Amino acid sequence: MIRRCLLLVLLLAGCRPPSDGRVHITYWEKWTGAEGAAMQEVVDQFNRSQDRIVVEYLATSAVDRKTLVATAGGDPPDVAGLWAVNVYSFADRQALTPLDDFIRAEGDTPEQWLGRYYPVFADMCHHRGTVWALPSTPATTALHWNKRLFREAGLDPDRPPRTLAELDEFAEKLTKRDPQTGQIVQLGFLPQEPGWWSWAFPAWFGGRYWDGTNITAATEPANLAAYQWVERYTRRFGLEPIRTFTSGFGNFASARNPFMSGKIAMVLQGVWMDNFINQFQPGLEYGVAPWPQILPDQANFTVADCDLLAIPRGAKHPQEAWAFIKFVSSINPHAQREEELLGMELLCYRQKKISPLRQWSPFFEQHHPHRHIALFRQLAESPHAIHIPKIGIWLEYRRELDSVFENARLMLKPNDDALAFCQRRITESWQWHQRSLERRAP
Amino acid sequence: MQPRTRFGRCIVYGLLLGLSGLFLLPLLWLVSTSLKPIEQTMSLPPTWLPRVYYATIGDQRREVTLDHQLPDGRWQVIERSPTKMRTHALAQAIVPASAIEVRVKPRWENYRIALATMGGRSIEEAEGTVAARQTGYGRDTAVSFGTFLRNTLIVCLLGIVGAVLSNAIIAYGFAKIPWRGREAVFAVTLATMMIPFPVLMVPLYGVFKSLGWIGTLKPLWVPAFFGGAFNIFLMRQFFRTIPEELSEAARIDGCNEWQIFWRIILPLSKPVLAVVALFHFLWAWNDFLGPLLFLTRKHTFTLALALQNYQSQAGGVQWHHLMAASLVVILPIIVLFFLAQKTFIRGIATTGLRACFKSLNLS
Amino acid sequence: MTTREKRHLRNGLLFCAPWFIGLGLFTAYPVVASLFYSFCDYSVLQSPVWSGTENYRRMAGDTLFWLSLKNTIIYALLSLPAGMIVALSLALLLNTEVRGMPVFRTIFYLPSIVPMVASAMLWLWIFNGQFGLLNWALLPILDLFGLKPPGWLGDPTWAKPALALMSLWGVGNSMVIHLAGLQNVPKELYEAAEIDGAGTWRRFWHVTLPMISPVLYFNLIMGIIGSLQVFATVFVMTGGADGAPARSTLFYALYLFSVSFYDLRMGYGCAMAWVLFILIVALTVVATKLTEKRVHYAT
Repeated sequence: MIRRCLLLVLLLAGCRPPSDGRVHITYWEKWTGAEGAAMQEVVDQFNRSQDRIVVEYLATSAVDRKTLVATAGGDPPDVAGLWAVNVYSFADRQALTPLDDFIRAEGDTPEQWLGRYYPVFADMCHHRGTVWALPSTPATTALHWNKRLFREAGLDPDRPPRTLAELDEFAEKLTKRDPQTGQIVQLGFLPQEPGWWSWAFPAWFGGRYWDGTNITAATEPANLAAYQWVERYTRRFGLEPIRTFTSGFGNFASARNPFMSGKIAMVLQGVWMDNFINQFQPGLEYGVAPWPQILPDQANFTVADCDLLAIPRGAKHPQEAWAFIKFVSSINPHAQREEELLGMELLCYRQKKISPLRQWSPFFEQHHPHRHIALFRQLAESPHAIHIPKIGIWLEYRRELDSVFENARLMLKPNDDALAFCQRRITESWQWHQRSLERRAP
Repeated sequence: MQPRTRFGRCIVYGLLLGLSGLFLLPLLWLVSTSLKPIEQTMSLPPTWLPRVYYATIGDQRREVTLDHQLPDGRWQVIERSPTKMRTHALAQAIVPASAIEVRVKPRWENYRIALATMGGRSIEEAEGTVAARQTGYGRDTAVSFGTFLRNTLIVCLLGIVGAVLSNAIIAYGFAKIPWRGREAVFAVTLATMMIPFPVLMVPLYGVFKSLGWIGTLKPLWVPAFFGGAFNIFLMRQFFRTIPEELSEAARIDGCNEWQIFWRIILPLSKPVLAVVALFHFLWAWNDFLGPLLFLTRKHTFTLALALQNYQSQAGGVQWHHLMAASLVVILPIIVLFFLAQKTFIRGIATTGLRACFKSLNLS
Repeated sequence: MTTREKRHLRNGLLFCAPWFIGLGLFTAYPVVASLFYSFCDYSVLQSPVWSGTENYRRMAGDTLFWLSLKNTIIYALLSLPAGMIVALSLALLLNTEVRGMPVFRTIFYLPSIVPMVASAMLWLWIFNGQFGLLNWALLPILDLFGLKPPGWLGDPTWAKPALALMSLWGVGNSMVIHLAGLQNVPKELYEAAEIDGAGTWRRFWHVTLPMISPVLYFNLIMGIIGSLQVFATVFVMTGGADGAPARSTLFYALYLFSVSFYDLRMGYGCAMAWVLFILIVALTVVATKLTEKRVHYAT
């Protein structure tokens, strides 16, 4: 009896699905829902376009962590959809396969290949002399404002704030309080909403995180100015009132999103916002504009980000993985109709984002579903578009900067103390990291 | 120690009843939540029984959810329709409280949906409101509950075989064969129980990686075939209570050690074998850190890991599904407990107790 | 060695062979290797490179390391005494020969064998600040004092007490051990004490406690070792190895895991593991020394 059970168990353990003669590669990606469906369409398109390779798309939560753990264990996916912030630390840890040789096999030098992208995105792909990943969907960020609330506050609904002073001024005018309880019912602007690029405020003010050799968190006066500006918002509107007000905020992806439900009048958001507004609050009247200008020579400032596709080290089918990545990076430059969209443009069309490639097909350019795509494209071309610093310890650095931001908006410690602490910790961390890299230098 | 007075006994009973109520409450809440529709899990004040509400909107009597109560006591009700949930076309009305029909209705379908979506399928597909299209491809996209169960059973059953066999053999070597250096090696064996797992974690991971076993179930059950200090100790204690005369008689009859072990000692050891088997099953079923470390692909996940993954996978936490899935993972253990109660209690109490004394005497 | 002794040695080694393999492969090698790795720069993707005491020096200056240690110790201080008191109290209650004792024992024991992941999920739900059962039950009581129920897992101050409270639900295991210990106390001692005029409390203090002191000591040691290594519940309840909220639940084992497998700094993780090992041994020795006089072994 026991022996029979054992046999059965061993049999079950050895079950394998039938094979169909094609190479199956695994692709782990972060997108679910509509965004996931968009990528699935491109995957289907690729699978149909040839009969050698089948891509298996898998939506994975915490895709970066899972990819790193799987790579460490020797069983990684063939293609991984990572965030830009992962690429540099993974590369430094030798967890990615370099793409230079694949590019050269296509007949291009890496510079030529990357030259097809807008500079800000091209720059994100290489690190310390090697190309590690290629863009999947890019994003730029802009100031979104609620036109109806502008009108109600007596402001011109078509004129967004263009300087920092105007931003603060408009924010004041757009803030409403309940006459009886004194509670805030509407805020003009809040630096912590959504808080996804609070790390970028120092750069916005003209500061720097790193001068190429050393960490400069506490040594740049502009960095301090940025956090003092954040603190001023809490001072102006009050810590407790803000806390009470924000505790009623709903999820980002819901009709109770603070911007979409009219609780916050102005917000810095990304190119995906239009998509979410159409889903959850279709009637919202809003406009987009570049980040308000702070420095006289820094017009069209924006924070650019990118999702990237990489091949983990130890992937079982790197050649096939490259074939897929190449497909996603290509377009049909003469597409006149929706059915003719290919690869990158199909993906960005469905996800309603800009394309990271300089060249746009006629259909993509003229019939893009995003109402304000032209501005986001303009921002992608801007010489003042920034991306995250390409240092392997950026995640840790950003966590410390988030801590400084929290400190500023909750008014816990003086800002220069917080920045000094951040500087100390990250400098130490940076030195450890440098030492580690040197030890392994070939 | 028995309380003398009736008053004393009343206090004891009262305390026991009260405390057992407190201990049972979370499990009851688990069951209650798992049978409710999602909106009733988030009702304030919390309710125990899942209900269904009917009211007349327009001319039709429909199932509704209670949105909120107006100051004059009437209720704002919204039509409840899984298919129309995503659009804005839900019918609404304001009705007096008396016009709402209330019934208790446990939602058994929560279990079906929870098990179907645990492996990655979307709720809409499981509910049938969206045609099941092939979203994704490959073994990891929609893993069935049966796969998770199978993986867990493989680990548990193979582990039991390994644990019982290997530890019995090893304990026999320590208990019934007088060889030089035996006590010293046994002391070392006991000492290894003090080593915390994190010390072994990283190199063990490296060992399994070089064997190519990361991502498979092997790291979870193969080590059971090589013995474990605690089980060796347990079995050795038991074997020592078997009279030496039995082995002596067999030796005189010409049996070698293996035959003595297999034919005489082992059949007499059923109680301790049952304890080891039971506790290994329990440990393997509940194990989380092992699967977290060694399993990378969803179709290899065990139930514990799949449950945790389920929590982090959906867009927002669907408590009723999560509780239903949790109950399904808990239930086999509870059933096992009721089937093997005596072994359980005997296992912890006597062996645990002896363990205290013995291990402390040795230190 | 005589032939018989040689034969015994051969048989003994043969029978214990699986253990020697296991010991070597799964215990001895990892122990030595992790000590070596703790002095190296090691991520399993690249081979280890000797770095001397760098990992240990880094640990000394790592605020997160000290924070995780502090968090773990606070948790242990919260959950261990409470757990022992509850386990002992339950065992005492069950020891009173009331009717239906097996039923009560089952009810108290069951939660301790429930899978950790499932029970963590359940308590996550019970502790929910908005819809949780606990806060709803506490609301009327706290209202009398004009207090609001805490945010439990959403509030950094209350996250650890929440986890400690949850651990009380699982005292069934140690309760059964205590119960067995209590049932082993010879009745004659109680009768003798009663004859001497000792009341319930004095009987407890002078007869029960000394007689079960080995059990208490055992559970104390096990408790120290266990609570310093809490992982599964924290991992599940804080959704990953971040120690949310505000790192208040960043426990030692969690940080170790995060550093080893999410940052891939395994040399550093090994160093942390060895510090944990030394800490556990040290605490065990201290606990033994402190209770040496009070633990009575009946021969």
